Amino acid sequence: MPEVPISPAAVIELLTAEHILEPQEALTPDTDLFSMGLDSMAMMQLLLLIEERFQLTINPAEMTRERFATASALAGFLEEKRRLAA
Amino acid sequence: MSILPATTVDFFLAGLEAFMRRSGQGTHWGVTVLRLEGKPDAKILTQGWEQIHAQHPMLGARLKRQWRGWRWAWETHGAITAPPICWHPAQPLPPDAAVIQERLQGRSSDGALTSPLWMEVFPCGADGEHVILLTWRHALLDGTGINLLLEKLAVGSCTSGPPLLKATPIDTPGRLYKRARPLMDRLQAMTTAGCLSAWIKGMPQDGRPEYRLIELSREESEKAVARLRALCGDFMQMPFYAAIAARALRLLHERREWSSPEIHLHLPIQVRGRSRELIFGNHMGAMPLFLDAGELGTLEQTVAHLLDKYREAMKQGMPQASDALTNLAAHLPLSTFIPLVRWTNMGQICSLFHSHTGSFLPGRTEFAGAALQNVFTIPSVSAPPGLGIFVSDYAGLITVTVAWRGGGVSQAEIEALEQRIRTDLTGIAER
Repeated sequence: MPEVPISPAAVIELLTAEHILEPQEALTPDTDLFSMGLDSMAMMQLLLLIEERFQLTINPAEMTRERFATASALAGFLEEKRRLAA
Repeated sequence: MSILPATTVDFFLAGLEAFMRRSGQGTHWGVTVLRLEGKPDAKILTQGWEQIHAQHPMLGARLKRQWRGWRWAWETHGAITAPPICWHPAQPLPPDAAVIQERLQGRSSDGALTSPLWMEVFPCGADGEHVILLTWRHALLDGTGINLLLEKLAVGSCTSGPPLLKATPIDTPGRLYKRARPLMDRLQAMTTAGCLSAWIKGMPQDGRPEYRLIELSREESEKAVARLRALCGDFMQMPFYAAIAARALRLLHERREWSSPEIHLHLPIQVRGRSRELIFGNHMGAMPLFLDAGELGTLEQTVAHLLDKYREAMKQGMPQASDALTNLAAHLPLSTFIPLVRWTNMGQICSLFHSHTGSFLPGRTEFAGAALQNVFTIPSVSAPPGLGIFVSDYAGLITVTVAWRGGGVSQAEIEALEQRIRTDLTGIAER
């Protein structure tokens, strides 16, 4: 299966299409995801969706506030994971 | 009169409450305790309290079956009047366990509680400390709902009611059965294996609600949070605390020399698309997890095992299977639901419900104008499962509530459970 490109836009699409977040306004790459309602309950669902969509394995201990603060930060972290896994 | 759609968890909790009543366990109540430094502003508190009652007719709702579609729904009858907030006279000490136990039985010193929400303020001590007890019916509020309610009360404002909800389309029994099948197969395996809770046939069910608070100091809480982060990152609170709860139950089984090859954990999982304006009516779905008892040797091992099982359950569609199975069960009369679950599970419902765990009032330092010191929740539990372990986090301060029914867990067992929980949380073994 071809790799799905990782970008802030792809992360935003994942968050909204899978109903992880249901923001009133459109998300931008720098929107604070926690203020939009991203909580610990949603994180396991997000973790599995990321693994499935981007074919990456994430250790829950790697899920830090900084890495998941914005779509931009999350995309950066995932790109780095993919680069290291290659 | 208006009708609000009910979730399958509403039906589950109503069924559980019907079972509790029939077995002498009464109504399913919970208490949230807020410790304040200073006196809360009566005007802020009263305004928020009255607005919440005016905006949320769910506080007077009854769960009823509708003829159309034979579905359960909340039937409401317009705005209701808020019961008065009870301000107690000053007393030297905070309300003790006897007061909280009374609330967990749906009673105040004046008699039975007449509303599903009840607020009392206790001035206590010489330094202006106040304690607020918020007593609530579990049928209307879960852990998420409580936090949303506390947020409104903290600022004394609730200017909008719940959004209009659309009922989800009715699925055919055939499709529901197909979705429910993975869970049904798993439950059958669990029954064959003989999964136990803290309660077995012959033990009392109708004891009064009991609880023990395990209050971690600031230093101990910091150790617990560091341990949580090292194992589960910044977000996976629930798997970390659920692992601790599962290990505590395993310890109980070992002490009693009971054989339970698996632990059937019932974890809450957030229902997607629920509005934050929808305070009442439950926000959680159920995530059944089946842990191998042999994989609970250390906390690290248990967390890793639980996360693997969580992944596996999500991939198998267990939350959807649980929802579908409850949807199928919702065709039954309310009073037969839990008895049927118990009949198929050799007297059990599950090994452990693990809910009411998480951060409360995150980011808030004040409640109704008074500095907030701590907030935690004390839910009552049904027997079976007979034991509940709940973790409240306020601004990094951890409070664990161990809840059980009188006569179901001995004092020596509670001491052992507390020691195990403290050691697991902080990593420091008690001498």
